[in-house]
Amino acid sequence: MFPIDIRPDKLSQEMLDYSRKLGQGMENLLDAGEIDTGVTPRDAVYREDKLTLYRYQRPSEVAQQSVPLLVIYALVNRPYMTDIQENRSTIRGLLATGQDVYLIDWGYPDQADRSLTLDDYINGYVDRCVDHIRETHGLDKINILGICQGGTFSLMYTALHPDKVQNLVTMVTPVDFKTPDNLLSAWVQNIDIDLAVDTMGNIPGEILNWTFLSLKPFSLTGQKYVNMVDLLDDPEKVKNFLRMEKWIFDSPDQAGETFRQFAKDFYQNNAFINGTARVGERPVDLKQITCPVLNIYAMQDHLVPPDASKALNGMTGSEDYTELAFPGGHIGIYVSGKAQKEVTPAIGEWLNQRS
Amino acid sequence: MSNESLFNDNWLKLQRDYWEGLTDMGRKAMGLEDSRAQSNPWQAAMDQWWRTVSPAAPEPARDFMQRLLDQGKSYFGMVEQMTRGLQGADASKGGWDLLSKTFDDMQKAFSGQLSGGDEAVRKMMGFWEMPLDNWQRMMSSLSPMMPGDWLRNMPHDAVKGNFDRMLSAPGLGYSREEQAQYQDLTRRVLDYQGAFQEYMSFFSQLGFKSVQRMRDFVQARANDGQTIDSARTLYDSWVACCEDVYAEEVATPEYARIHGRLVNAQMALKKRMSVMVDENLGALNMPTRSELRTLQDRLQETRRENKQLRHDLDVIKRRLAALPAPAPARTTVSAQAPAPAPAEARKKVAARKKTAAKSSD
Repeated sequence: MFPIDIRPDKLSQEMLDYSRKLGQGMENLLDAGEIDTGVTPRDAVYREDKLTLYRYQRPSEVAQQSVPLLVIYALVNRPYMTDIQENRSTIRGLLATGQDVYLIDWGYPDQADRSLTLDDYINGYVDRCVDHIRETHGLDKINILGICQGGTFSLMYTALHPDKVQNLVTMVTPVDFKTPDNLLSAWVQNIDIDLAVDTMGNIPGEILNWTFLSLKPFSLTGQKYVNMVDLLDDPEKVKNFLRMEKWIFDSPDQAGETFRQFAKDFYQNNAFINGTARVGERPVDLKQITCPVLNIYAMQDHLVPPDASKALNGMTGSEDYTELAFPGGHIGIYVSGKAQKEVTPAIGEWLNQRS
Repeated sequence: MSNESLFNDNWLKLQRDYWEGLTDMGRKAMGLEDSRAQSNPWQAAMDQWWRTVSPAAPEPARDFMQRLLDQGKSYFGMVEQMTRGLQGADASKGGWDLLSKTFDDMQKAFSGQLSGGDEAVRKMMGFWEMPLDNWQRMMSSLSPMMPGDWLRNMPHDAVKGNFDRMLSAPGLGYSREEQAQYQDLTRRVLDYQGAFQEYMSFFSQLGFKSVQRMRDFVQARANDGQTIDSARTLYDSWVACCEDVYAEEVATPEYARIHGRLVNAQMALKKRMSVMVDENLGALNMPTRSELRTLQDRLQETRRENKQLRHDLDVIKRRLAALPAPAPARTTVSAQAPAPAPAEARKKVAARKKTAAKSSD
């Protein structure tokens, strides 16, 4: 049998359909208006430099937990991914389980922030946000949820300030940065990080975008848009797609000195695994983390492979360590329908049992 | 004028060849070679429609639609390439020969052996250039003075030897430093060009392997008695083959080296340019990037200390506030330390003056 049998009339029909959907899509795009992101009402409760600490408004019908939860997002991309639309919101899911949710928005660093170090972020910004929340609630300890690079920050913070953290949740968090399937890490090994930071000052978001798109270039820069045409006749799906598109390309620049330290210490020298992690003058010993730890990873994660996260098992001093595997990818763990049903309720339940 | 004169035919031909060579090199450097675009009727209709409606679209929607349109062209261009002449074909009518020739042509195109401006193959190459296109867009956004496709098609190996010799000549005289800087700049341009061309060459090999993967895939479908009966299935299969081969190849140490070389070469070039811009700004008595960075570092250090001091002060204030209120002080005269007598105070001042005089000797 000959394997390609595309009849001319069928090919013509496919071309016609594509054209029709594009035409219809144009109408929907023009009607899409402003793309809103971050849907849950919140209040800015603390500001420092470009950082804003938000507290989300809690639904009155849910019984509230007394220990608040601070969400620490990565410096890469923007935290509104956790609250991207009404029916796909990690924040909303957490609120529904009774958590009192705070979130750090790092803002967009510019060249004046080039000298910010990991120490400034972790022992400075994060610590002051934690102190603000502790004072507001009159508590010694709060809960922390760290996401991706924010999870790595959370691990360092908890190791350095164990007296301020009651429970720690890490989501898609890299711990072992040199697992064989970690493409990002493989690519970074030959890059002269010092030269890049000395040249650029801050590392532009465009470089990070290029790097992430390069992981799957044909799917992410080609096929995705062809598939998108099939959704163009549904205004709501167009809007959802545009939200994701906005988030993907909304990449803040990275403060140069922090990038230098993070890329060299972790991506090139695997600091947690080799026991060489430091923040400022202080060594980071993960064994100092004795609070309960919930470590969540995504089984199809191409940015932080599962083994990179699972490496945390046995590295902390906690006697209450739990892992949760999510059958999806790095983004799906926040935005997929499955995540809304499985991940956020599980986090809420785990915290409620320990708060 | 006889052919023996100074401006004989050979000399004129040499001049003509020289200018044609230079023009050709310029065209290649700008990526203009083989840019004779021809559209099929579907593409022409889509282009016409887009020209009509796009001016009315706001900027973000226009960019997005342009992307959809470009991918549509790539999609159907790929299908056109793979199916031309195959309609109604079967094994007995030489369909396999036609398909095999298509794959051969694609592989030749990736290995640079296909001459002429075959439009369908060019579109196929366009699809495979997406990773390169991403790099070029990123480059352009970082360096407005260096468009992403800069130097892409400029011959490298042919000119590098001569440039290397020229660049090894030491600078002389009053402007020696400046000459050395320009020599270094040129070296970095050549390094970047070499790195970029190595990157492109790697992708050409990937393309070649992807065609082979697609060929195997199609053969496997035939063996299983399955057919590909829609453009979308064919396109999705092609993307899957490309992505599989890409994932295998970019996980190798060889790719990590090529990738690192490209990024490092770009940074080294940009750094050299920044240094030269800084020197020119300095000569104009304008603030330079390097001076600004020094100020930023000092400012951040001061702010860091300031925040720490403020934090320490808050802690002290809080501790003080938490202390039990002191018992009211007794105010009887006898409880107070006696004030020094005027004579005793004068002695202490004199002693201090003596000590100061000694230490300044």
